[in-house]
Amino acid sequence: MNALVAVVKQQLRIIRRDPWFLFIMFVMPLVVMPLFKRTMGLSLQASGYDSASGAEQVVPGQAVMFGFFVGGSAGFCLFREHGWQTWDRLRASSASSRALLIGFMIPWVVILTVFQAALLTVGGVALGLRLNGGSPLADLAVMFGYSCCVVSLIMLISSTLRTVNQVNAFQNVGAMAFAGLGGALVPLSQLPGWARAVGPFTPAYWAMQGHNNVFLEAGGLGDVARPVSVLLISAMVLMALATVRFRVDETKQFFA
Amino acid sequence: MLSVRDVYKSYGDITALRGASLDVAAGSIVSLLGRNGAGKSTLLSIIAGLSKADSGSVTVDGVDVLANPRAATGLVGIAPQRTGIYPPLSVRENLEFFGELSGMKRTDRVARATAVAEQVGLGALLDRKAMKLSGGEARRLHTGCALMHRPKVLMLDEPTVGADVTTRVQLIDAVRRLAADGAAVVYTTHYLPEVEALDASIVIIDDGRVLTSGSRSELIDAHRVGGLELFTLTPLTAELTSAIGAVESTPLKYRVTAQTSLPEVVARLAAAGIGIESVQARKPDLESVFLAVTGSALVEESE
Repeated sequence: MNALVAVVKQQLRIIRRDPWFLFIMFVMPLVVMPLFKRTMGLSLQASGYDSASGAEQVVPGQAVMFGFFVGGSAGFCLFREHGWQTWDRLRASSASSRALLIGFMIPWVVILTVFQAALLTVGGVALGLRLNGGSPLADLAVMFGYSCCVVSLIMLISSTLRTVNQVNAFQNVGAMAFAGLGGALVPLSQLPGWARAVGPFTPAYWAMQGHNNVFLEAGGLGDVARPVSVLLISAMVLMALATVRFRVDETKQFFA
Repeated sequence: MLSVRDVYKSYGDITALRGASLDVAAGSIVSLLGRNGAGKSTLLSIIAGLSKADSGSVTVDGVDVLANPRAATGLVGIAPQRTGIYPPLSVRENLEFFGELSGMKRTDRVARATAVAEQVGLGALLDRKAMKLSGGEARRLHTGCALMHRPKVLMLDEPTVGADVTTRVQLIDAVRRLAADGAAVVYTTHYLPEVEALDASIVIIDDGRVLTSGSRSELIDAHRVGGLELFTLTPLTAELTSAIGAVESTPLKYRVTAQTSLPEVVARLAAAGIGIESVQARKPDLESVFLAVTGSALVEESE
């Protein structure tokens, strides 16, 4: 437990040294959101939400997509230890492989949850997103579930892939593809049939289901129980797979 | 304190260790000497629990490292060959992290970080970021991180590679003090003067086997070879090198350790039309012992 806490604190310490990554990731969606608000408003109105402004889609949608980019950094941190040659030192310490894996995950689950909450707050205020009776606690639960799922997926991918470039490619393609297929870029109802069929296999789909329940259906905790459960169960399965796949003695290549 | 018995290790078709054995008592320094690929780093990795042996036994303070590697982590400290530190963090943060990782309480690790920094000559740089340290300072921090949890067995894998003279002197001094405090130190190096400065026991390892061990004087007495140091004007052929029992140290520089007399060497080279720039007799030393035991020179390398 001591080693786990030490690894978590160390990761947070290192992340604090370079806040610019998170700052840029925070500003980018705020720039994108106003560009698509009106179009998304028309899409939602066409889907039967007559009073929708578009903020209900574009604000959580961008948070979901950029959240994947941010969550992908958990894998980057794992590879960076190899680049700094500190991985062997961690292995030679009293930290178990499970403590190392979880120690790299926890900071990013927290950061990603806070990141989405901050983005929804600032973006929501700027674009006039209203809860309209929806529960903020329910939406926080959605964001937490999505963070757990994304970070677990990234750790599974990082446990499997050998180079940071491969993880980077997955992060970029995954963020765009999952956001598109999951209904984070445009409402699911606007997607072709095949995309709607594939959507439920992405974390973004369940995150957007949860956000839609809160912002479009004035839902509470009970209304987001299903998407949050799917996200958390998926996270547990992905985490279990990552734990099985994770090999502390495997060589990983950071940037050459 | 550390006992290694008959350890074997293979990586696929490559056998890295073939029955290596080693003993290091508390308060003593053992220097592992061997060429690149001799098996030194593999042996250290196994002792540190970073790598699993195929067979054999390793015990640290009575703890079976191979059967229970986690139990041994607190007893062993390793500074691997490649410098491993956190560049964005300060010297203090680097040191304290490795203390915290081993379960040290805050007050203890804060005091210990200061003491270790002093020990490795970084006392004035505690708040400097590691990325702003010189190569030698980074190397000392790298070594210091391995000292934080007061290991009973400390393994330093070529700690002075790439270090300047000042850093070498400070590190050697620090290692001697650690041993004086009771740690068992295993030290690998290619720099023979360091071995003498440390007054370490010597273990010569080659091709995965421990070939010989003992104190410097014991080894020199046991392998009483001095030989000749020969500088030629043109390179020797492989046949001629073998015929006079020589080994090429650097281009056009040869060490002759076999019982070939000076007149015989000169005669053979003259017959082959090889010009001699200079030749001198060498007193028995560690380099000639290494040459005699392994049949090859211990070439210095850079990281």
